[in-house]
Amino acid sequence: MEILITTLSVLGLLATAILIGTRGRPQRLFSQGAESLGRIWDNRGPLFWVMACVLLALGFLFYFYASPATRIGAAQPIPFSHQLHAGVKAIDCRFCHSYVARSIHPGLPPVEKCLYCHKYIIANHPEILKEHNYFNTDTPTPWVKVFYVPEHVMFNHQRHIRKEIACESCHGEVKQTERLKGKRFKMGFCIQCHREKKANLDCWLACHN
Amino acid sequence: MDRRTFLKTTGIGSVAFAAGCNAHPEKHLYTLVRAPEDMVTGEATWYATTCRECPAGCGVLAKNREGRVVKLEGNPLHPVNQGKLCARGQAALQGLYHPDRLTQPRLKVDGRWEEISFNQAADLIRGRAAQAAAKGDGRVALLSEVVGDNLLALFGETLSAWRGQVPVIFEPLAYEGLKAAYAQAFGQAMLPGHRLEQADFILSFGADFLETWLSPVEYSRKFKAMHALADGRKGFFAHVGPYQSLTAANADQWLMCRPGGEAALALGLMQVLLGKGPGKELPVPFRAALNELTDSYRPAEVARRSGVAEADFQKLLHRLRASKRPLVLPTAAAGQGAASAAADLASVLLNALLDPTLARLDFDQRHRVETAGSRSEIHAFWQALAQGPAELLLLNQVNPLYSLPADDAVATAMARKELFKVVFARSLDETAAAADLIVPVGHSLETWDAYESKRNLVSTLQPVLGKINAAPGIGDFFLSLGGAREGRTLADYRAYLSRRLADQYDLRTESDWLRMIQNGGRFSAGQADRMTASRFDHAPVKALADLVERAQSADARKNLLQVNSSLRFYDGRNADHPWLAELPDSITQVAWQTVAMVHSATMTANGWSDGQRLQVATAHGQVELPAYGYAGMHPSLVMIAMGQGHTHMGRYAQNLGINPLILLGAATDAGGALPDYSAEITRLASDGGRMALASVSGSRDQYKRRIALAARLGEPVAVASGEGLTLNDFPLTLPLPEGYAPHRDIYPAHEHEQYRWGMAVDLDRCIGCEACVAGCYAENNVGVVGQTQIVKGREMAWIRIERYEDPENPSRLIFLPMLCQHCDNAPCESVCPVYAPHHSKEGLNNQVYNRCIGTRFCAQNCPYKVRRFNWFEWQWPAPLNQQLNPDVTVRTKGVMEKCSFCIQRIKAAHNQAKNEQRAIRDGEVTPACAQTCPTDALLFGNLMDPNSALRKKIDDPRAYQILGYLNTKPAVIYLKKVVQSI
Repeated sequence: MEILITTLSVLGLLATAILIGTRGRPQRLFSQGAESLGRIWDNRGPLFWVMACVLLALGFLFYFYASPATRIGAAQPIPFSHQLHAGVKAIDCRFCHSYVARSIHPGLPPVEKCLYCHKYIIANHPEILKEHNYFNTDTPTPWVKVFYVPEHVMFNHQRHIRKEIACESCHGEVKQTERLKGKRFKMGFCIQCHREKKANLDCWLACHN
Repeated sequence: MDRRTFLKTTGIGSVAFAAGCNAHPEKHLYTLVRAPEDMVTGEATWYATTCRECPAGCGVLAKNREGRVVKLEGNPLHPVNQGKLCARGQAALQGLYHPDRLTQPRLKVDGRWEEISFNQAADLIRGRAAQAAAKGDGRVALLSEVVGDNLLALFGETLSAWRGQVPVIFEPLAYEGLKAAYAQAFGQAMLPGHRLEQADFILSFGADFLETWLSPVEYSRKFKAMHALADGRKGFFAHVGPYQSLTAANADQWLMCRPGGEAALALGLMQVLLGKGPGKELPVPFRAALNELTDSYRPAEVARRSGVAEADFQKLLHRLRASKRPLVLPTAAAGQGAASAAADLASVLLNALLDPTLARLDFDQRHRVETAGSRSEIHAFWQALAQGPAELLLLNQVNPLYSLPADDAVATAMARKELFKVVFARSLDETAAAADLIVPVGHSLETWDAYESKRNLVSTLQPVLGKINAAPGIGDFFLSLGGAREGRTLADYRAYLSRRLADQYDLRTESDWLRMIQNGGRFSAGQADRMTASRFDHAPVKALADLVERAQSADARKNLLQVNSSLRFYDGRNADHPWLAELPDSITQVAWQTVAMVHSATMTANGWSDGQRLQVATAHGQVELPAYGYAGMHPSLVMIAMGQGHTHMGRYAQNLGINPLILLGAATDAGGALPDYSAEITRLASDGGRMALASVSGSRDQYKRRIALAARLGEPVAVASGEGLTLNDFPLTLPLPEGYAPHRDIYPAHEHEQYRWGMAVDLDRCIGCEACVAGCYAENNVGVVGQTQIVKGREMAWIRIERYEDPENPSRLIFLPMLCQHCDNAPCESVCPVYAPHHSKEGLNNQVYNRCIGTRFCAQNCPYKVRRFNWFEWQWPAPLNQQLNPDVTVRTKGVMEKCSFCIQRIKAAHNQAKNEQRAIRDGEVTPACAQTCPTDALLFGNLMDPNSALRKKIDDPRAYQILGYLNTKPAVIYLKKVVQSI
């Protein structure tokens, strides 16, 4: 994405400069090369401003759509990687989110559960030491919430798991994501699937109460 | 306005609008550090414990979600309440989560509070106790509320280690008269249980057993067991008393007597019954003495002395003699000194005359409150403290400065400098404010304990959540004081308790103990001590004669103030629970305020109306409060309920209402031991001012609309012709396809899939106790709006108890629970511009909060006035917000809300049924209101299931729909109250 944006912008700037230098006839660049370059030089002031504007726009575009931060979610108190745990190590989602099939909430792993493994695996890594610290000081880990449903909506995980809706269909490709990007679910997203699957579409009985 | 200002204003307006609409969801998800084995996030865990809001001791199940308790429900296994709970029990959570709960011990230094640690507090008490013990015996005293045997034993051991006095139990409502009556008749001061359910006729001399008397949830259930319509018959309940309390309003016949006239009526009945019926088996000397005493009580004389018309007396007598299993109940919890004691004793003797075997009194199941000291003992206790050498006084969760304001001994003792006063309390109440040291203690829901609700029944308490502050349980704190013999080696009160319970109830293994805790107690704990020998000789008769004579001296009083115990606040200990203040009183329909109930005739004669500011003065004090006109009382009476008017006790009790106890005389009457909750009024006047009543009632009159209906027992119920829809003739139009007819309906019937939820409300069973309302507040996160908003008509209750006069007999009140009717033809649905009210496929009338824009058209168009608008964002000051039910959303400002038939419970049942691949079973869904109803007046179910209990219930000629002529097809079907006259 960022390569595409950059390439298009550089080509666009080049084309603008050439068009100005050749007074709208690009072929003159070859027939009257020196004259064209001189004209570009004469117009260096306006060209600079045009380029500055384009670069600024490029920066904004990049910041909003292409910066690495847009593909990963909020910084968490401990840089937990879903990609590593769920993807590379192929730990089942339900090992940590163990209530997902029997409760409305999937459940988050207690600090104790992290330490089942991390007592032995990279136990002295500075980030894992944080985890030990949470455990030793009896402090709940303040994970940052990334998935939101609108207010007055009650989502029931159990029902969706029982209907064999894959976790990925709402939570995205967790196995390939370092830091979960998260999502604010909108009603259309739910309704679409509920329609397709002929699920409950009643306001209260389905979601709102 | 120029263009610039316009732009500025709209700009600011839209920014403010955008900012104001922003809800602030929680940004973090917190994990547990260690996972407790019995906690699954999103699932509730239930713990059995015991309610300690009053001495009745009902079993409760506490619903724990993610570590916090969000709801209390009755324990179905518990024999006292059998799964039900009253309004006060429901509100116990607000004592637990009260924002003004004390968290740190406070020591008074030079009149100012200084916070100290719990260890410092314990050291201080130990030091003081050691000093006192060094000087001699009896210098440490303890006054406690009613507690279980084990805690009492710990108190006793600790005090005896300090050479202290025996602990004294104080309950403001201690039933001295009744206890004394049993002491006279059976040689033992006790409070036996009453088997109301086995009676076919109940004659009460004022016992308010549906409100506060002994064990209201238990007696409400037992009362309806004999009084609900079954096979076209029902028992008869006659209530004799000077005022129509909630209990009296539920009687088939309330007979108004003169204040203090109950005993005369009882003596009159005895006079006739002596020598007739089963009573003639009683010993001759007893009968002879009674004959002598009652000789002058001929019917005409009885009518003169009691104020009950002779014709009514004869009818009552006739009923009483015709009944096979009569039961006579004594006077109200808040009595009138000797007059009430005389009536209590007379009621005991009358029971013996009617049935010498006393089969309907349960001497095994005696009420725990019988352990409370009588008023004279309490008075003597304080007098000794005021004069005596005692140096350390420990007060456990009692508030004598509020309950006994006129007892000088209390004030003197509390002001005595040499006496170090330690108060164990949860909130800074009047007594705590006057103490030298306050030690906050854990709520009963946070502590281990056992409570003998009845004499051979032990009910256990366990912590149902982690501690919400550092306050230790009272037992743990006492053990840390180190005086207890058994406790010296024990770390905590749980160990102390489990060891003692193991000995008492033969708990051999850990699993025995766990089973007991899981059940909530041991309910068949043997060791029933048999009824002690009765003493039917001349002694009780002589005592009765004395009491009657003593009572006569008070007869001269003209205008009388009567203070009664409150359905909502009991004796005032629960006054700081906002739900209870927000609940309107069933009779007056006034919330938050204390009113003076004045007879309607007095009101008219003085040109007063409801809300008139009155000054009521007695020889002991004066109060100013709004008037409320009520015809259900003796014209000479003014009634004020106790419980409010606290000078301390936190934000929800302080300076709200008035405390009528300051108008009463000293703690004991002239003769001795009996508290008198009445006093002669010296001034009853109005300065012409008015006070806005926080009333939720429109009117007592139904204005000929068909709202609360009654049918006469034994007469066929008028069934609608079904022809048309007129004010007086409209058929039952079920919210099902069969309820639709072309000549009535334009629109076709709704298509419901498998379920059409509905409710039956049996007005014959509803006693107006408000338990359902409190249960709904707890379950559905209903906001507490406060007095000023209620005055503006902005209350939020999803279910309310309306009280109407029966058009055929205005002295008869009908209580009617009103909730969203979930109409099939809902008027609210058709007027909403954004389709926020929506008809569900299971018949529910959904209110979609996200859609609602707050036009309030729906509330305007609802004929039942059940829709509630959120004018503000209602507050749950921390930690009260921890009570909020996570399965129900908290509505924000600007949206309409209403009863949902507890949709979260329906969804939970759906969830369970889907997991098990079956349909929802009949009775599987019970909304919070129906769950807690002590009399099972509410029944929820599926109208589409022809075999459901609900369909069977409404297949009754009494069934009707409120305002059915509007063709709204409500899903709440009411069953007419069944009335009878004496």
